[in-house]
Amino acid sequence: MPPSILYHCSCLSSSPHPPPPNLPSSSYSFHPLHTLFFCEECDAVRCNRCVSIEVSSYYCPNCLFEVPSASVRAEKNRCARNCFMCPNCRNTLSVVPSDPPDTGDSRLSMPISSLNEPPFFLYCNHCRWDSAEVGITFEKPTGLAAQLQKYEDSAPDSLEFERLKEHFEPFLRASSLSSTIGGNTTAHASSAAHSHHAHSNSITAAASAALARDIPGVSKYQPLTRTTSGRGGSGKDRSRNKDEMPEYRSRVEISKTSAYGGGEADVELMDHIETIGSIATLEQRWVNSWISPLQTKELKPLRIPLHSKRSKRCPSCTHILIKPEQKAQSVRYKIKLVAANYLPAITVALPHAQKAKAELAKKQLGKSTAAAVEDASISASNMHAGKTYAFHLALSNPLYDPIQVRLSAPRMNVSTAPVKDGSPEKARRPPFAISLPSSGFSVAAFAEAWEYEDDEDMFGVDDGDEFGMKGGRETDGRGKVRTVGVLERRANVTLVGGEVVIGKEARGDVKFNMLVSYTYRSDDPTPSESNDGDGPSSTSKSSSAANKQPEVKTFAFYTVVDLGHIIPRDEPRAETDF
Amino acid sequence: MEPPIYYKRSEYIETDTGNKVSRRATIAGPQNIILGGKTIIANGAIIRGDLRRTGPGHAVVISLGRYCLIGVDCVMRPPYKTYRGNFNYYPMKIGDHVHIGSNTVVEAAQIGNYVEIGKNCVIGKFTIIKDCAKIADGTIIPPNTVVPALSLFAGSPGRFVEDLPESTQEMVEAQTKQYYTRFQPEADAR
Repeated sequence: MPPSILYHCSCLSSSPHPPPPNLPSSSYSFHPLHTLFFCEECDAVRCNRCVSIEVSSYYCPNCLFEVPSASVRAEKNRCARNCFMCPNCRNTLSVVPSDPPDTGDSRLSMPISSLNEPPFFLYCNHCRWDSAEVGITFEKPTGLAAQLQKYEDSAPDSLEFERLKEHFEPFLRASSLSSTIGGNTTAHASSAAHSHHAHSNSITAAASAALARDIPGVSKYQPLTRTTSGRGGSGKDRSRNKDEMPEYRSRVEISKTSAYGGGEADVELMDHIETIGSIATLEQRWVNSWISPLQTKELKPLRIPLHSKRSKRCPSCTHILIKPEQKAQSVRYKIKLVAANYLPAITVALPHAQKAKAELAKKQLGKSTAAAVEDASISASNMHAGKTYAFHLALSNPLYDPIQVRLSAPRMNVSTAPVKDGSPEKARRPPFAISLPSSGFSVAAFAEAWEYEDDEDMFGVDDGDEFGMKGGRETDGRGKVRTVGVLERRANVTLVGGEVVIGKEARGDVKFNMLVSYTYRSDDPTPSESNDGDGPSSTSKSSSAANKQPEVKTFAFYTVVDLGHIIPRDEPRAETDF
Repeated sequence: MEPPIYYKRSEYIETDTGNKVSRRATIAGPQNIILGGKTIIANGAIIRGDLRRTGPGHAVVISLGRYCLIGVDCVMRPPYKTYRGNFNYYPMKIGDHVHIGSNTVVEAAQIGNYVEIGKNCVIGKFTIIKDCAKIADGTIIPPNTVVPALSLFAGSPGRFVEDLPESTQEMVEAQTKQYYTRFQPEADAR
């Protein structure tokens, strides 16, 4: 595994400090840079876990037609055109005409599908399922969903659903009305998000009221335990709604019918089952939101579920971070505030592993065995306990102004995860020590022209000395001036070196948190308070400096650097010399 | 900051527009193939420009955009079908910044820009892959599949797995450009 770096989003915790990286749960707080967003108002990083999402448009993933949101509900969130999914393998089905009738003469030259002869049926190119198997054929190859509509509408489950909808419709309308009125009068429902909550609350309350009905043989559902904990008024809501609810009677009593499987018929079937494939798998049945047939041969083609394009908002200030273009297949955005345009991108490299990889690649030149190179690089990038390794951090600046960066690795008390056998001596000592350049350094501004610069000589500039120090300086590596500090400046990228000293008894991964703080000149006259306090990842220490000079802003964020696995001492070291 | 990928200078032909085509790739019907520039065609790739539409005149069979990579031992073959009794091949159009991994067979009708296709995939006939989509390694895309923009497909048959991040376009662009600069002839000293 190559060394990696992930960025911290503080949405999961209340403190701005990230969890220790050796905890397995910490991976939920760290994300790759390209998945993060940046809210300019809050001056903070946002991730996919914390942004609020709104659907901006719906489209069918197969015919790529945009579906107006009005018809989305009417069509039950599925494509109402010609798109069907194979019930067997989830592949898209294609319409094929039936084979020309066998006339008896050996007229083999006429290929299939040359004649457009009805009846047409749906055919899966992958598993060869066809809809004729379940008795679905079409008179013409267009408007298939409309042709299937009558099957679908007459299905007992869909009739039941319609009836349910009808039953709840007046109630839902009334409750949504009352909740919007209620939302206005209650003082504490300050934001729009709150009233939206209240609105959905009454719907869920209605649903839970329906669920809370006494069903013989089923233990009583207790919605109170959950609803009262978070939202205050919903308990009262629920009881009121429950009173208003007329009783619903289903079309058919499920216990009296045997048409939908269950009971004796299924036992009979299972007794005579010959292949496991004749029973539909859970996955095959799960996608079918209606009644799911038990047997594979009864599965029906499915209309393809719609996809959506989503816009994303900052959770705290509700400013839009992502707003896609309306066109379904456009990959452009009207608004796109991604963290990659604000935070410096950092890449980590282990020079000793890179060198080994490069050597190998040279050796195997022309043989083009990419897999072998990868394997070798994995073994070469391992780090052995009791040794010192250099690592490189390349910071590239996305801003049009130069930035001044300072790196620091907060002291960790690593006492838990890597130590499995629990020897107390090991627990006291951190398994490795990190040294980073202590002074700040600058990263030049980003300029479009550099993108096209030929950077062929960017490699192999500073290989010589790191390779020498691999030979086992176990005590202390800080004497080496060349390895820790700024190694190279090129365009908007600055390469800095760090060093990791791995303890003799160390095991586990070399994984540490790193605080990156950078200052830049901000052009906009926004008050400098915006970058302390509410920005969870900006530290108060650094922002105090920014307060004095409003045109200079400081931003700080945490990252976790994973350099790779430590090979414990006792293992045979086969790959030490490469 | 990845290390460079070296190749023997004698093994690749470099065109004026920066395309690098391996001498060990099989290019059939080169007059029907368009390369956009800075596109790499690796060893052992087979590109069937000879499977052209019947009929007179010049026909573009396969067109590739800029910064594409056809991986080692890939097969690029235009799709074919019999329509109204006539057997015919249909052109294959591939956009910019498209990387195709090694050992993949492609019979797509259209591949958009910024598309990543993994290794050991089969892209079925008349598949349409939209911009910024990604096909994971070892995926089998059945014929006539449509892969929507910004989606990850994987499995056999290839199915939608997840939406890709909004910055996919920039990522793939940077990656393909970097790959091209990393792909350089072996140092002359050797």
